[in-house]
Amino acid sequence: MTFSPERRAAVYVTSPQQAKNIPQLIEKYGLNDPIPVQYSRWIKEVAKGNLGWSLVAARPVAKAFWSYFPTTLELNLFASPLVIIIGIWLGTLAGVHKDSWLDHGTRIGAIVGWSLPTFLFALILLMVFYGYFDLFPPGIISNDISLWVINNPDKFTRYTGMYSIDGILNGNLWVTWNALKHLILPVITQVIVVVALLMRVMRSGMLEELSKDYVITAKAKGADSQTINIKHARKNALIPVITVAGQLVALSMEGSIAVEVVFGRQGMGWWLAHSATQLDMPVLMSMCMFIGLVFVLSNLIIDIMYAYIDPRIQLQ
Amino acid sequence: MEATIQTKNEHPRLRELKFTLHRIFRNPSAILGFALLIFFLGVAVAAPHLAPPKYEHAPYQMPHKGYSPTPKAPSAEHMFGTSSGQYDIFYGIVWGTRTAFKIGLFVVGFAGIIGISLGVIAGYFGGWFDELLMRFVDIVWSIPLLVLAMTIVVAFGRGLENIMLALALVEWRWYVRVIRSEVIKTRRQEFVEAAKLMGVSDLKIIFRHILPNSIYPVLIMASMDMGSMVISASFMSFVGLGAPKGYADWGQMVALARNYIVGPPSDPFKFWYTIAFPGLAIILFVLAWNLIGDALRDAFDPKLRRR
Amino acid sequence: MKNLLETKDLVTNFYTYEGVVKALDKVSIEIKHGQTFGLVGESGCGKSVTVRSIMRIIQQPGKIESGEVLYCDDAESDECDELLSKSEAWMRELRGDRISMIFQEPNAALNPVLTIGEQVAESYMFHRKRSISKQVLKDVAEGKSSFGLFHPFLKWVYSTAAANPNARLLKVLDRIPLLKLWRRPLHREAIRRSVKIIGKLGISNPEEIVTRYPHNLSGGMKQRIVIAIALACNPTLLIADEATSNLDVTIQAQILDLLGELKRKKAISSVLLITHDLGVVAETCDRVGVMYAGTLCEVADVKDLFNSPQHPYTKALLNSVPRFCVEGELATIEGSVPNLVTPPSGCRFHPRCKSATEICKTQKPELVDLGNGHMAACHNIQVKAED
Repeated sequence: MTFSPERRAAVYVTSPQQAKNIPQLIEKYGLNDPIPVQYSRWIKEVAKGNLGWSLVAARPVAKAFWSYFPTTLELNLFASPLVIIIGIWLGTLAGVHKDSWLDHGTRIGAIVGWSLPTFLFALILLMVFYGYFDLFPPGIISNDISLWVINNPDKFTRYTGMYSIDGILNGNLWVTWNALKHLILPVITQVIVVVALLMRVMRSGMLEELSKDYVITAKAKGADSQTINIKHARKNALIPVITVAGQLVALSMEGSIAVEVVFGRQGMGWWLAHSATQLDMPVLMSMCMFIGLVFVLSNLIIDIMYAYIDPRIQLQ
Repeated sequence: MEATIQTKNEHPRLRELKFTLHRIFRNPSAILGFALLIFFLGVAVAAPHLAPPKYEHAPYQMPHKGYSPTPKAPSAEHMFGTSSGQYDIFYGIVWGTRTAFKIGLFVVGFAGIIGISLGVIAGYFGGWFDELLMRFVDIVWSIPLLVLAMTIVVAFGRGLENIMLALALVEWRWYVRVIRSEVIKTRRQEFVEAAKLMGVSDLKIIFRHILPNSIYPVLIMASMDMGSMVISASFMSFVGLGAPKGYADWGQMVALARNYIVGPPSDPFKFWYTIAFPGLAIILFVLAWNLIGDALRDAFDPKLRRR
Repeated sequence: MKNLLETKDLVTNFYTYEGVVKALDKVSIEIKHGQTFGLVGESGCGKSVTVRSIMRIIQQPGKIESGEVLYCDDAESDECDELLSKSEAWMRELRGDRISMIFQEPNAALNPVLTIGEQVAESYMFHRKRSISKQVLKDVAEGKSSFGLFHPFLKWVYSTAAANPNARLLKVLDRIPLLKLWRRPLHREAIRRSVKIIGKLGISNPEEIVTRYPHNLSGGMKQRIVIAIALACNPTLLIADEATSNLDVTIQAQILDLLGELKRKKAISSVLLITHDLGVVAETCDRVGVMYAGTLCEVADVKDLFNSPQHPYTKALLNSVPRFCVEGELATIEGSVPNLVTPPSGCRFHPRCKSATEICKTQKPELVDLGNGHMAACHNIQVKAED
């Protein structure tokens, strides 16, 4: 099933002479040992802080992580707030004005967004806005700027590793502007794919709430529709939305992979995809671990959000 | 002197079925979805006639005349043009339909059957099996579908079959969760308790009472999954983990088009056909399943059911 | 003296998949000032639909087809309003202020994510902005509270609110994030008044209750809160839609006592009580209307109805109440409630009526005055001997 020890060793070999050393490599790194033994060895190394070596990055995994992580973070930092704002706003509107043109429009938009593979949509955007209009190029930053940054460490300190933010921190808005130009298409792609789900859940949540008794009570009190929709219904409708929040995070991660691969942004997703094609096992294992951690954290945050919105739930 | 009004003399199940079908089809998106689906089915079934295979024993191998990397525009000979490496796009689209159905049916079938069986047992009987299964699912849950599937493919090796297997091995967790929660909900209802008290066997209860009531969300999910699994599989093929070059798979065809999405500066859309046709095929196929799933969701939603 | 509320030939339909449900078939009710009117009938006979049509909170797919609803708020003056022709904005002012409604399920009537105080204060915030603004300004002038840093701005805003609660300015301010906070003093005063009214309804520790959430309260307390919300603005008419049906008997007794007391103290003028419990009707109502399948069968003063019911349905209903010390089988009314998509022709009760005659099948009976305010809609009244 898994690749034979020979093939796994062959991944690290770059010339025919080195191929002769394969049996020694297998011996040295214990590639013939049974899987549980290899796994426990990996765990021991991870505990020591040694995550292995990444072929793709030509650096130890732990070090490579810090150069890839900021890029992905930057993308999601811009995309996530947009997703939340647009999703909740449009979803509420669609639920309140059920069966109107707006409702049908957002539903169709959501379905089409859901049917569009992220990578395809990214390719199309690239084709139109880069190929035809030549407006928004792929990549993270223009070559000349990245060269300038490397050659002038005194004039530009990379605090966070994210060009857009570093530009502001350094007072160099030209860099920020350039980084933002490269971010527009990836962010649009990421947003459209994730917002489809959020809109759908928000809409169904609103529909459910608007048929509840306390909405009728509010109406009998003489409440206007604004109060009913926002104050009464929406707050309750957010509860099922939070339930899906975990899914949204997963969707964002998967979206990041496609977006980074197509737009050539060297972030975690790009790293993952290239490691997969080049059979870079240490990276994949470390990635799974990292993502597992992210999930545990986001579930914790989600639980806290639940307690904040729904007074029936008490935090222990 | 009849105190009640006679309802039509038909079996209540038939009436419910007709009502459900009415609810599904009064939605124009459902009609569109089904129409698209039938179209794709037709293409898949008629593949050998629409695009006669060049190699009898390997119909999924796209024919190519020569190895030139530059794609050629649509012409009389190649209806949709050729992609990088001179692969006939029309052929790829037609046979790719079969591939898409294969992927969808395999993954959904595999994940569905395993997920449903495990979920029903866990939900109905509870106990240590339920606990064990849920812990396991919780662990697997923390990693997104694509990441886990890619990891599995790296471990097993490349190829379309491995992609399908990997996707199935990850997607079953959804089915388990959904059907388990539905089963637990149904199990608590009074008619199930009544059946138990009457001494009906567990197996009968499961098949007659539990399954028919809990299956709806799973059906909706299965329908949407047919589409989303094709998306995931095509992305993995695009990245290079899937079918080999020249195989009739839509994702693979987009990979072929990768270097040609932007043509020369004078005519940036020159090679539009390399990506337009496979892209359109993927979008429409997934759209069909999503529309159907959406219509099913609206039809089965108990709150929206009786207006 | 004219009536407080009068409906004339109210017709309401529901357009569903199975057909058009003719829920109300020319229902005409009269309620006088200071009167407790009970509306009884089986489930599904249209009691709730009637009151919701009056309040105009019928939801899709329902539609009020025709009829008139005359509401005369002031007993002295001659002015009446026809509710079905008023705008939605006008109705919003009416609801909760002049006519209030309380519902069956107190658990569902309260929003679980808002505090009790917030929900009671809402009634004041909707309808008493002017009065509260004036109170706030008075308090600031007397030094009991202050506007703090924003004194000139807030003074201006509150003066506008005191003069015209519907001013454009206030609506604009509400939309702007930070400026929304002008409502704080308003809110505080509204909460203060909420505490007062909750206390008046016999709930101890009202200051603490207003900070709690609905799930912290018992069923009986929740219903009292619902009543507090309804009574906040001293409505003239209180409509209770099966308000005690879901409570256990002891709580039910308390709530009914409370309603009686409020009437005595003139906190409310009239009550329209909807119930299927004849015992409650006998205890609390002055006048009773009996509905069946969307039509009004009989209306009478409570003693008249119980002592000499005229309509066959009323008679059968009273007959089916189990009696103490009487042995034998429980009496029932044969058959079941008709499907209102295809209601029976003529009198809607004729398929189940023991005294039905030919005319009952073809012609719908109108309400006939039998003297003493006792009205019944039946073709065969004079024929039957009195009980």
